[in-house]
Amino acid sequence: MELDFQTSVDYFWALLPEIVLSLWAMGVLLADVFQKGSRSEASRPAIAWLALAGIAAAAVANVWLMTVTGTGGMIAVDGFRIFANFILLLAAALAILVSMGYLDRHAMNRGEFYVLLMFAVVGMMILASAQDLILLFVGLELMSVAIYVLVGFNRRDPRSGEAALKYFLLGAFASAFLLYGIALVFGATGTTDLALLAETIGTGVQDAPLLLMMGVGLLAVGFAFKVAAMPFHVWTPDAYDGAPTPITALMATGVKAAAFAALLRVFAVSFGGLHETWVVAFWWLAALTMIGANLVALTQGSVKRMLAYSSIAHAGYVLVAVVAANAVGAAAFLFYLLVYTLMTAGAFGIVIANARGDRERVSLEDYAGLGWQQPVMAAAFAIFLLSLAGFPLTGGFIGKLYILRAALAADQVPLAVILVMASLISYFYYLRVVIVMYMRPAPAADTHAGLTASRPLQVAVGVAAIGVILLFFAPAMVLDAAQGSVAGLFIAQEALFGLSRGP
Amino acid sequence: MLTDILFFFFAGIAIFCGIMVVTRRNPVASALWLIGTFFALAAIYTLIGAFFIGVIQILVYAGAIMVLFLFVIMLLNLGNDYQPDLRSRAWMITAGGSGLVLLAILGRVFAADTTAPLGRLTGPEAVATQVAEYGAVGAIARPMYTDYMIVLQVTGLLLLVAVVGAVMLAKRRV
Amino acid sequence: MGDGIVNGAAAGFSPFLLGWIVLLPLIGFLVNGAVAIAARRYKPVPLAAASEEEDVAHRHEEHPATPEPIPATPPAWTKSLPTFVAPGVIALAFAIALVNFFRMLGAGDALPVIERYWSWMPVGDLQVDVAFQLDQLSMLMTLIITGVGALIHVFSVGYMKKDEGYARYFAYLNLFVFFMLILVLGSSFPLMFVGWEGVGLCSYLLIGFWFREKANADAGKKAFIVNRIGDFGFLIAMFLIFAHLGTLNFVEVFAAAPEQLAFGGAVVTAICLFLFLGATGKSAQIPLFVWLPDAMAGPTPVSALIHAATMVTAGVYLIVRSSVLFAMAPSASLVVGLIGALTAIFAATIALKQWDIKKVLAYSTVSQLGFMFAAVGIGAYVAGVFHLMTHAFFKALLFLGAGAVIHAMHSALHATHSPRDAQDMRNMGGMRRWMPWTFGTMGVATLAIAGIPPFSGFFSKDEILGYAWSGARGELPISQGSLFGVGGEVWMLLIGVLLAAAALLTAFYMGRMMLYTFFGPNRTGEAESPHLHEVGASMKWPLVVLGVLSLIGGLFQVEADVPIVNWFAAVAIGGPDALYNFLAPVTAPAAAVMAQNIPAATVATHPAWPVLLAIVIGAGGLLLAWYLLKPAALGVEGEEPDYRRAWERILHDKWYVDEAYDRGVVRPVVALSGFFARVLDRRLIDGTVDWMGRAAQSVGMVGARVQSGHVNTYAFVLVVGAVLALFWFSGGFAWLAAS
Repeated sequence: MELDFQTSVDYFWALLPEIVLSLWAMGVLLADVFQKGSRSEASRPAIAWLALAGIAAAAVANVWLMTVTGTGGMIAVDGFRIFANFILLLAAALAILVSMGYLDRHAMNRGEFYVLLMFAVVGMMILASAQDLILLFVGLELMSVAIYVLVGFNRRDPRSGEAALKYFLLGAFASAFLLYGIALVFGATGTTDLALLAETIGTGVQDAPLLLMMGVGLLAVGFAFKVAAMPFHVWTPDAYDGAPTPITALMATGVKAAAFAALLRVFAVSFGGLHETWVVAFWWLAALTMIGANLVALTQGSVKRMLAYSSIAHAGYVLVAVVAANAVGAAAFLFYLLVYTLMTAGAFGIVIANARGDRERVSLEDYAGLGWQQPVMAAAFAIFLLSLAGFPLTGGFIGKLYILRAALAADQVPLAVILVMASLISYFYYLRVVIVMYMRPAPAADTHAGLTASRPLQVAVGVAAIGVILLFFAPAMVLDAAQGSVAGLFIAQEALFGLSRGP
Repeated sequence: MLTDILFFFFAGIAIFCGIMVVTRRNPVASALWLIGTFFALAAIYTLIGAFFIGVIQILVYAGAIMVLFLFVIMLLNLGNDYQPDLRSRAWMITAGGSGLVLLAILGRVFAADTTAPLGRLTGPEAVATQVAEYGAVGAIARPMYTDYMIVLQVTGLLLLVAVVGAVMLAKRRV
Repeated sequence: MGDGIVNGAAAGFSPFLLGWIVLLPLIGFLVNGAVAIAARRYKPVPLAAASEEEDVAHRHEEHPATPEPIPATPPAWTKSLPTFVAPGVIALAFAIALVNFFRMLGAGDALPVIERYWSWMPVGDLQVDVAFQLDQLSMLMTLIITGVGALIHVFSVGYMKKDEGYARYFAYLNLFVFFMLILVLGSSFPLMFVGWEGVGLCSYLLIGFWFREKANADAGKKAFIVNRIGDFGFLIAMFLIFAHLGTLNFVEVFAAAPEQLAFGGAVVTAICLFLFLGATGKSAQIPLFVWLPDAMAGPTPVSALIHAATMVTAGVYLIVRSSVLFAMAPSASLVVGLIGALTAIFAATIALKQWDIKKVLAYSTVSQLGFMFAAVGIGAYVAGVFHLMTHAFFKALLFLGAGAVIHAMHSALHATHSPRDAQDMRNMGGMRRWMPWTFGTMGVATLAIAGIPPFSGFFSKDEILGYAWSGARGELPISQGSLFGVGGEVWMLLIGVLLAAAALLTAFYMGRMMLYTFFGPNRTGEAESPHLHEVGASMKWPLVVLGVLSLIGGLFQVEADVPIVNWFAAVAIGGPDALYNFLAPVTAPAAAVMAQNIPAATVATHPAWPVLLAIVIGAGGLLLAWYLLKPAALGVEGEEPDYRRAWERILHDKWYVDEAYDRGVVRPVVALSGFFARVLDRRLIDGTVDWMGRAAQSVGMVGARVQSGHVNTYAFVLVVGAVLALFWFSGGFAWLAAS
């Protein structure tokens, strides 16, 4: 189908996945309310499955979207969006699956949890596909507000509320930066449309007005906050640590992926002409994030907090692909986000599973001897950790390899070296967990007996583990898809500005 | 000329009130100074011809939101014995340095030639043509319900999420 | 599997089910892994847990419905299924490999055959496929891996019978064979690297198989870290190759290298040295050999398969596979040869004073690997592969024999609950009375490794020594190279002397091991010795088969023009120089490169005296052991002999290499990370947290939540970061730099 966005009907088709998911979420909200009436009790398991079905329906709509082309609208209809949507829907599906047992254990099984999660995904999808800065901002807020609430969803745990408040205050602060940036960009160029921006800015690096540069800078700060790049990561450890773990997983995967997708679209495409200026800023962000996050992760005694820093470090790796800002980089970027989503969601799934009742066991000592008493669980965790470290035989290795390729293709040799060194550092703290699991005896023979891994969680972890392995042995299909997805994104840019140059 | 003078006058008020907001120890005092900022901003909007926005600014912010703020502050009955935010010398130096740098950047932005936007027309003239054609409300409403209809819809979703979230977080029994 | 595309005009040779050779072990892994997971359900619940009422109640709450009580002992199929599946898939793979081998023999030189399955890593100009390359070298390696592997699997059936992780063990073992086959069959460096990492992974899994001891855990850790250093070398080499040649497929790399790289140039030398660094990690050469002896903590059949016959030879395979590159870098080749020879003598000296029977064999393996590296280093690629093959036979046999002895010792000591060590030779002695088959087959292997004709080791070791001697007289192409300004022939003389000395020591320590284990009075103990017994059929027959191979394995390569050796030409299998002729297509490009770049390498001549010397060395070593060592006078374990002489203590303590690494590498790193932890933890994290704690305390309860130091600090960091970013975007840094 060909869309020209002359009528609102075109928007209906172009936004079909988002619309399906929004309506479905409202339906789930109503179903939950009608089913419960005025009683205050846990929602039925069917609500969760209904939410999962909504994600599936959106995925179907997303598949259908592949047959649609269209330009000029406020929403992009391109391969990049479709690929990003799949990543986001995957992250959401995994988050729902790992939530099922968790919510019951923590006595917070309310249908609204899934409803808010679905709305957050709608926000993410809009964020990843917006072709207009205003829509982008509204999508970002839709996602953020839902996530703020979800972070504080566990009312019994004061840490959850504290995390939500911190995240909310700092998130609002960062949103202000972003909004101010949008305003300045609009002031300098007279448009918020990303395609028009690219055209207007053109190749004019030298004579770009300072107003525009300020706007670009503020946008960079706003995005750096959302993707948790150092030094704008300060909120991350606390928010990730305090949030219910399935939401931590969603924040580390979906929220981050959506923000990255928007970042790439805005900077590599619209501000392509200003590449030489912003690439330096992102260069430093990437370097600082990779080094700093990995160093701090070394000192963490809590596995959940370590994974939080690990997710910050991975933002640094993905930023390398952004800095490369060429087609290889964009493909590597999508590929890495997919692998990263699988391995991070899987790792958090194990953290959820390693719990007794409502007591999460997140300290390093709680994993001692897990490898011998829960071999399947520990093996899956080892796969995820090794993949996060970039160990061969896992998808993480291929992902890092592609990012390295992209960085070298863009002549970013020092950054590539930093990436390798940072990965080497990361081996220490990932392997520490593996070593503790397998090489330190459990305090008692039944320390890890009867852990509560619900069946859906097992499915999620299994899917993620198999995916991580498969992405090593057969990455070609996904990579071809990623390369095809970004083909349209960069053709004009490369011809115009020669984006594959270094700074 | 007169517009310029008025602009700098109101801008000064806005900045002064802003400084007072962040330096007051008593939250009620902060909230009241914030109203001053809102009024100054409304005046600036009006100066560039955005009458509707100016009115809305006063109605919504100075009216509704500020009342809510004050209610909350008084309900929580917060004292005014807070420590200042800047507690150590290192903090003050960093904060002061950051402020100076920001000021310098601002100076550069003003000094640079920013008269001509890169692309389509913006600024008071653009607003004026729009207002002349569609009226003060129409200049906002038309794009909002045509070009930016999608944004409006998504904002609707955002409000729904906010309501659901507020209920979830505030409900006594969960 | 897949749609095979056969490369080139293969003259009548199409590979037969090539993919299945690799796929079968994977299927075995999946089946056995599933059985292992299923068998876990039947683990008996520890009594301690069941007695705690509260805990039980808790568990019931989490599992509201426990449908049926789970029996404590697993059903019989969890053992019988792996018993047939695990050795079965390997044997089947061996059969398929044999079919391919005979087809290949009829096909002549129309090789390699490349079977392509799917595109693996297509990024821009880097195109890597999942494809297998079948040529003479990978064929030979496949036969060794599946053949010896099948025997060791059969042996394991008996050896691991009583272990509760039976299925898990076989799952890992099958997975190992899968990765090892990928390593040798992969048609490109990255695919080889997959196998390279995979076998390493399985090695850690199997070392840690008997996990509950800290020593095993440490061994796994050490092996992991040392191998990372080796991998680093391999990766750098790959990057260099790709950067200079633009491809990583074997066929293309070796075709392009002679044209695009300068002979003896810095690039090709660096590539070779980094490849060799990778090889030293996996094949336990100086300086990265420390992990292999510790890796003996795993079950003994694992030591036989992984740490003797197959995985540790991967480094040799890598160098032979890249022989074109090494032929272009004579000085790198000399480094390989020299390190190999040094390792050979060094490890042999350590083996002289070990008491653990597996440690003796472990250092012996390191030493024999040194022989192989010396061979490929001086350009005698076929000799290296030949020794790899015979070594796979006799060293697998030695390890399995040692496993049989340990098995017997273990059950004897177990019968009386004796706490003594089942692997210490001081607790053995006179074992030949109880274990005639084991003694006989191990005796064959000992004669083979000592180099006594007509056993297999004689032929392969003599060929290496003969080449070293030829090289010392300047008759090999590599002799023309130089290292540190010293000519190749001088280095080769050194290599030859070192290897001859190592051969003498080899015979001596093997004689010592046999003497202490099988001869003299029994020291196991009055109560224990009646429990000693010969192993069962599933363990005996693999020993016999390997014994036959150790006996006749040398006849695959009987050099026709070497005196004394050529007496055996009449009984040579496949005619004289069979292996040489078979591998000729693989080594020909390297030979061509050397012939092209090195003028007039004289034809090697073969006098009789080096062969005689080799025989004298082998026999002399054994005889020395026989006359010098007195098993009867040996005390039991714990009565530590008084090492009066310094050299004895040094050898017993393995030249203090572990201690040196500890002082020189481990402790500085620990100190450094401790420093970082102090700075980061205490100053940054703890300092901030403490400070925030104080700040939060001084404010009230509500204030602690809303206005704790946290959010303020965070917002402040945000602002400072934003100011820096804006400063950059406003051109401030450029302005600062200009002024």
